[in-house]
Amino acid sequence: MTVMTHAEALVAAIRECMDEDENVALVWGSLMGVGGNNDHVEHIKADFADRIFHPPISEAAIAAIATGAAMDGVRTIFPMGTASFMFRAWDQIIHEAGAAHYMSNGAVSIPAVFHVVHGLRGGGSVQHSQSPQSMLWNAPGIEIAMPSCPADAKGLMRTAIKSNNPTVFIDHQKLNKRSGEVPAGAYDIPFGVADIKRVGADVTIVATSLQVVHALEAAETLSAVGIEAEIVDLRSLVPLDEEAILTSVGKTGRLLVVDEAPPRCSVASEVVATVAEKGMDLLKAPPVRLNRLPVHVPANVALEDFVGPNTDRIVEAAKTLCG
Amino acid sequence: MDKARLLDIFRHMILIRRFEEAVYDFHEQKLFGGHYHLYIGQEATGAAVMASLGAEDRIFSTHRNHGHLIARGVDPKNALAEILNRADGTNGGRGGTFHIADASVGMPHTSALVGGSVPLAAGAGFAAKLKKSGGIGVSMFGDGCFEEGVVFETLNLARMWELPVIFVCENNTPGAVLKSAGGNNTSNLPEGRVIQIPEALGMECHKVDGGDAEAVDVLFADCAARVRATGQPIFIEALTERWPGNYFSFPSMVTGVTQVSMAWDGGSISGEHQEWFLNHDPVLRFARQLLVSGVANFGDIVGIDVEVTETIKAAKEFAQSSPLPGTDSVYAHVLAGEG
Repeated sequence: MTVMTHAEALVAAIRECMDEDENVALVWGSLMGVGGNNDHVEHIKADFADRIFHPPISEAAIAAIATGAAMDGVRTIFPMGTASFMFRAWDQIIHEAGAAHYMSNGAVSIPAVFHVVHGLRGGGSVQHSQSPQSMLWNAPGIEIAMPSCPADAKGLMRTAIKSNNPTVFIDHQKLNKRSGEVPAGAYDIPFGVADIKRVGADVTIVATSLQVVHALEAAETLSAVGIEAEIVDLRSLVPLDEEAILTSVGKTGRLLVVDEAPPRCSVASEVVATVAEKGMDLLKAPPVRLNRLPVHVPANVALEDFVGPNTDRIVEAAKTLCG
Repeated sequence: MDKARLLDIFRHMILIRRFEEAVYDFHEQKLFGGHYHLYIGQEATGAAVMASLGAEDRIFSTHRNHGHLIARGVDPKNALAEILNRADGTNGGRGGTFHIADASVGMPHTSALVGGSVPLAAGAGFAAKLKKSGGIGVSMFGDGCFEEGVVFETLNLARMWELPVIFVCENNTPGAVLKSAGGNNTSNLPEGRVIQIPEALGMECHKVDGGDAEAVDVLFADCAARVRATGQPIFIEALTERWPGNYFSFPSMVTGVTQVSMAWDGGSISGEHQEWFLNHDPVLRFARQLLVSGVANFGDIVGIDVEVTETIKAAKEFAQSSPLPGTDSVYAHVLAGEG
C-alpha cells in the first residue's frame, strides 16, 4: 500500500496503461482537473510525446475524433474538464460513441474514455457545476464509472481504458486532492461491482463519488446515536450492481440514496425504482432520495451548500428514516 | 473632435481599470473564490464600442465580462456585489464573476461557455430585425471562441439571414505564448488569422488596434451606423496586446496599481514591464493621446481618476456590506410565472 491523492492515482493508472499498450492516446487539456498539481504528470508528457494531443476548446470535434480513432483500435482518453462542458459533445458521445457498436450490429466497438469532473465545486455557479450522470444513464451503450477514493479511481480507470465500450469516467473536483491508500502494482477493478464501504445493520445508504465521503462522515455521527449505516458505493452505474443494493436492503430494510443530480429521473430515482421492482418486500419503510434541489446551482457558496446533499442532511434523513 | 465623447470613453476606461483592481483586491482578500478573469489591457475596445450603442441595442459578453458591463453603464456597486455573490448583485448573487448581466442596460445574459454568447447576440439581431426596433446585436468575444463550431455556424447564419449584428472579436493572443508551447494564451489556432473565417463567408470585415480607443471608436461608430442602415452583419477583429498579468492561470497584478502619471512622467517607468507601460497599456496610451491632442490636460486626467477612484471605493464598501442572499431565494425563478 502507498498513500496517493485521487489525482495521482488517476495519473498512475494512465501511466501504466500507456506503458502496457501503445494504442493508448491522451488528449492533454487540463488533465483530470488536477490544476496546480501538474508536476506529477510531467513524466507522461516527457515519455509519450507522440501519443499526446493538445486540444483547442472543441469538445464536440475531439469527442468524435476519439470515437473515430476508437473504430480503428486507438484507445483515446479525453479529459473534458468540468462535466458541464460535455454537453457540447452530447451528440458525439450519445449518438456516435454510444451508438456505433449497436448500429454496426456489433462489428465496431468504441474503446474511448471521456473523463469529466462533476458537481458542486465551490463557486462554480450555473454553468460549471453539472452532474450529468443521470442524463447519461438514460442513453444506452455507454459505461459510467464514478469512483469515490484513490484506490477505486486507479482500478476503475484501468478498466475504463481497457474496456471496449465508451466510458464516461465521472470524477469530482473535491475528490482530487483527497488522499487514500492504494494497493501496490497494477490492478483492475471491474465495473458492476459495488463496494461496501462500511458495514451496518440499520440503514442502507447508497451513494456515488463525493457523496460516499459524505455518507461515511454521516455514518460516524449516526453511530454515536445508535444507528449503524451500511454504505454501498456503486462505483459504476453501467453496469449496475443490483445484487449488492438488494442484499444490503435485505439486511437493513431501509434505503437512503444520496445523489448530486436533481431528483427527477436521477440516479437516486433509478436505484429506488430498482428496489421497488425487485425488493419491495425487503423494505420496512418508504425509501428516501436525497438529491441536489431541483434548481440551478447559485454562485454563492452558502447557497451552493444549501442546494446540495451534504453530511448534515444525510444524518438528518437517516435519523428520520430510522425513527 | 468631440471632446466630451473622448473624455467619456477615457472615464469609462479608467473606471474599468479601477474596478478590476478592486476585483483583484477582493480575490486576494479571499472575499470570493474560484477562477476569474480581468479585462485589464482591453479597456479601449470595450469603452469605445459602448460609446456608439443605444438603449435598443443588446450586448452579449463572456467570462471576461466586467469591462463590457462597466462600459455599458452598469453601476459598479451592483457589479462588485455580484462578484461577491451578495443579494444586491446584478444577478442577486447567483451568477458571480462569470455571469454578470443586467437586462435593464441591454445585457440580458452572460454565458461563461466559450463561444456561448456569440449566437445569443445574433438572436438579438434577429429580434431587432423582426421587431424593426432599430437596434443591433453586439457580440463581444475572444479569439478562443473560434475553436468552437457554433461560432462558425452563427457567422454563416448572420450572413444568410442578414442579421444586424456586429461581431467584435477581441483577439488578446498577440504577445502571448501558445499553450502548445507551454504558455497560457487564449486560442490555439495554428495561424492567428481568425478574420479569414468571416471573410470566407463574404462578411464585411475590419481589423483595428484594440488598444487604441480612438481608432476603435472611429471604426465602430461607422460600422454601427452602417449595420443599422443596411441590416447586414459586420465582423471586427480588435487586436490587443496581452496584459502581462494575464500570462498566468489566475490574474496577477504584476504591473501594479495603475499610476496615471506614468502617461506624462516617463521617468517613473522602468523595470520588467517598461514596454507595457510605454507602448501597450491602453489607459496610459489614451491619456497620452488626449494630452497630445489637447483634449485634456494633466488636471483633467487626474481629476477623472480621482472621481472614479472614489466611485470604486464606495462601490467596494457597498458590496462588502451587502447581505448574502437568503437560502429560500434558491427556489425563485426556476420557471417564469404568468405574464
